[in-house]
Amino acid sequence: MTTDLAVVSRARSGDPEAFRMLVESHSRATFRVAYRMTGNEHDADDVVQETFLRAYRQLRHFEERADFGTWLHRIAVNCSLDLLRARSRADKQYGGDPESAELAGAAGARSEAQQDRLMISAELKTQVATAMKRLSASERTAFILRHFEGMPVEEIGKTLGIQVSATKHTIFRAVRKLRESLEPFVRSTPCNT
Amino acid sequence: MQHLTEEQLVAHYYHDADAVTAEAHLATCEECRAQLATLRSVLALIDQLPIPEKNGAYGEEVWTRLRWKLGSERRRSRVWGTISAIAAALALAFIGGMLWHAGTQQSSPAAVAAKNTPSPAAAAQTASNSSSVVSRDRLLLVVVSDHLDSSERILLELSNADAKHPLDITSESRRAGELVASNRIYRQTAARRGETRIASLLSDLEPVLLELSHAGSTLSPDEIASLQKRIDSKGLLFKVRVVSAQVNGQDGVTKAPPKGMDSL
Ligand SMILES: [Zn+2]
Repeated sequence: MTTDLAVVSRARSGDPEAFRMLVESHSRATFRVAYRMTGNEHDADDVVQETFLRAYRQLRHFEERADFGTWLHRIAVNCSLDLLRARSRADKQYGGDPESAELAGAAGARSEAQQDRLMISAELKTQVATAMKRLSASERTAFILRHFEGMPVEEIGKTLGIQVSATKHTIFRAVRKLRESLEPFVRSTPCNT
Repeated sequence: MQHLTEEQLVAHYYHDADAVTAEAHLATCEECRAQLATLRSVLALIDQLPIPEKNGAYGEEVWTRLRWKLGSERRRSRVWGTISAIAAALALAFIGGMLWHAGTQQSSPAAVAAKNTPSPAAAAQTASNSSSVVSRDRLLLVVVSDHLDSSERILLELSNADAKHPLDITSESRRAGELVASNRIYRQTAARRGETRIASLLSDLEPVLLELSHAGSTLSPDEIASLQKRIDSKGLLFKVRVVSAQVNGQDGVTKAPPKGMDSL
């Protein structure tokens, strides 16, 4: 966005009105990234808040030639990653979430019996969400950045602080988990091994 | 014929692989084509995952929530700027006072000599030191009152936190880190001045601030609960308010300079 440039420079010089304009014009895009990353609306709203707070504090480090939207996007990804990691640490302390895995199995068996497309599409939302929840913080981040954002593997590696080969493997692990969870829901092919 | 591995298929899907090799194999292998088709269908499912649509007022809502936080952040950084300037001045004045005090008590040959032959310079020094004791006391009250305000805000946020979910405390932790250093100076100063109530409150406060400053960016539900327990068991919030009110009262009596003491 070319109009951002002037506004960003005003915001950098401490004009709150300019920062308000940036917040208002980038909130929805930031929410979409945050929602994909966190998978729930409440967390996404929190990530949006934290993203703009961090952006405000780091505004003087923002290079004016860079794209503000891209810069904000990266902050949102990092905030989400922090949240996912904190959440998974907390989950470990409380012994994981066996319930959701059980749920996924049961629903899988059910849907093979029912071929009603409407039922499936309603159920699918839950299934896809559940499948995404099975991913670790890094797997989820790597997958979303590759799949939805089309970010190059090298960039994803930098975001996660890991090597290129490890990044590729993380994306692969994510896809394999998703496939394991969701394959029962796609029309099965004759050549399954 | 060697089939493509799962990993190669995924890499192929995202164009992260040696495209020629994979494509050459796929052109001749129905089984791998089927595998790729399944992979595409699975990933297509994920593309359908809906994202809640936020309406046009969302940006404004975000700003409304945010504005309050930014406001308190700006106030905090101003207050902190003032506090650290005063704390530095206080520490210097305090050390200066101690040195002078030690000098007169130990009766070193130089001090004895100075006593026996009182020079105008020595008399002037004594006068300036006694007046600086008064202004230092006022300074202590002003900075302690600001310090308690900031600490109270953090304690309040912690006490009100929902102990069922992890809590992001990035900014609280940073603020606590800043407060720990000043807390130590004020506690020592208060103890030496015989302000036992302030000193004892500050020594209750210190471990909580310290723990918070080392907690990193997130508190787990357990950590929140344990900190809340500590705040509760010492009646810390209540004490902070009482002493804060007391300090503010004294502050008024001694006609402390106004809070915007940036000139210091
Ligand atoms: Zn093959």
